[in-house]
Amino acid sequence: MPIYAPSLPPRPSLNEGLPPALVLMRFDLRRVMRLKLGKFFGFLFVGILLILCAQLYFNHLMGSRRELADLKRATEAFLPQGARFQAQLLNGAMLLVLWLQAALVGGGLVARDTLHRIRPLIYAHPVTQADYLGAKLLFAAGLPFLIMTAYVILPWGLSLAIAGAAGPVWPTAPLRLLPAAALIALLMGAVTLGASSLAASPKAGFGWALGIVVGSAALGGVLGGALGDPSWHALGLGTLTKAWPRLLFGLEAEVALAPAIGATLLHIGLWTSIAAMRTRSGEAIL
Amino acid sequence: MIRLERASLRYGDILGLSPTSFELPDGGGITGLLGPNGAGKSSLIQLLSGLLPPSGGEVRIFGETPFRNPAVLARIGLVPEGDRFPAGLRADRWLRMMGRLSGLEGATLDQALRRCLALTGMAERARMPFAAMSKGMRQRIRLAQALLHEPTLLILDEPFNGLDPEARLQLMDLLRGLAQGGTRVLVSSHILGEVAQLTDRILLLFRGRLLAEGSVPEIRELLDRHPVELRVGAESAVAVARWAVEQGELVSLRMEEGGAIVAVRNPRTFLPRLQDAVADGILPLRTLDPLDLNLDAVFQYLTKDHA
Repeated sequence: MPIYAPSLPPRPSLNEGLPPALVLMRFDLRRVMRLKLGKFFGFLFVGILLILCAQLYFNHLMGSRRELADLKRATEAFLPQGARFQAQLLNGAMLLVLWLQAALVGGGLVARDTLHRIRPLIYAHPVTQADYLGAKLLFAAGLPFLIMTAYVILPWGLSLAIAGAAGPVWPTAPLRLLPAAALIALLMGAVTLGASSLAASPKAGFGWALGIVVGSAALGGVLGGALGDPSWHALGLGTLTKAWPRLLFGLEAEVALAPAIGATLLHIGLWTSIAAMRTRSGEAIL
Repeated sequence: MIRLERASLRYGDILGLSPTSFELPDGGGITGLLGPNGAGKSSLIQLLSGLLPPSGGEVRIFGETPFRNPAVLARIGLVPEGDRFPAGLRADRWLRMMGRLSGLEGATLDQALRRCLALTGMAERARMPFAAMSKGMRQRIRLAQALLHEPTLLILDEPFNGLDPEARLQLMDLLRGLAQGGTRVLVSSHILGEVAQLTDRILLLFRGRLLAEGSVPEIRELLDRHPVELRVGAESAVAVARWAVEQGELVSLRMEEGGAIVAVRNPRTFLPRLQDAVADGILPLRTLDPLDLNLDAVFQYLTKDHA
């Protein structure tokens, strides 16, 4: 394995490519897509999405065929088409799987760099802490947002294609669903980023993320019960993410709008601050 | 190129580096950063590579402060100690990402990657995952990473750790070549012989203090003032003692079973004479064991000097 004599051609021109934050985010995204974990969640989300689309088509079919009218009435209980149905596009099994995916993928984002002591090397390049943190947050929140966007846009497009404006999904539904998706994604991104920055390994990051989700629900429940005010339930991340689509559709949710806004800001602020503190270049000791 | 003016570094209450001043000129060359573990080498490297701001004083590289300064960082290549990558990752993917962080893209990045992989002898193995690479191969990849953007200042933290002798020599050749090409190379190590093989300029650190700065002969001269203890094993301890007391360098003599422990100044003149005595049959030598020629002892001497 010889090492050849160095030859130094003219210095290459730098600053040609993407900003460092996008370079780091793209690297993490490609890495996750190549992992078995990424493929597993990919299949899972596509599966759930296909079931949702099939449900939507079946729903439309029953609404549009007279001979199926009785069946339609019988199934209205679990296939409603009002605001509740719109809000359900971001709910149930999908959000649960999304939390699991966010904890598994996001929990390792910073922790992996801590475990392998990669951060000092990154900061020795022209990369600031804002670039690093921005990249991680962009990825941790961007991935759930992309998945949720698919869950909004595909059913919406299918509904428009098969029944136009009279379809089961309201033509204006994305205007409420996408902001809800953005808020949920930001929550997931900030929490998993904070959890990951507290951990020393990806597995510990996953544990931290799950612990925070479960712990926040327990804390909200205890405070709500002790103080007799259900607003405290907004501290629970599961409750909060389930509440946002319903709140934006004007439906009654487990928590009201004001506590939901407060708790969302608190969680995003708290966990991103922790991540910022734990990823300073001063923390990146050689 | 590098100028430190009473630069110090604290980690809370712990002093990582006492106020330190030195200057390294522009142009290529190799400087050894020498000191035992905990001497402050990594602290100094963190200041130079812009990872931390000095707690006091001033650090200037290319006339500018390196901390959070992309203009300076883009001209520095850092090879940290130990692996700095997830084990399952492929080396070329890692290198591409690092190249992109330095602002390389497209054909320029491809070119830089080919050049650095050829330079480090890893062109054929770059598509291997890190987990399948030997320690030496991973070290070469770390070096390739630091060379991608053709840095003017290359900083290596303990680069010879874990390398076999052949890989060490190859790495030394490569560093010499880079230095001749105009790159300023700063190599940290805790092994004096290793650095002495590579360079003539040394910065000697101990307990967070810069103890000495100069060429290897200058530092050797400094060390020669201190007695070195040697255990001389011989068939007759009396014969050793009889020969040793006639030597001008002898400071002390302690008899023990099967030989003697002698403390001598200027071992560089004493040892050839000992060799001659053995060759002439004057001294029935069986073993010769330097007791305090390691770097720790050297630092102890220098610390006493500074006290």
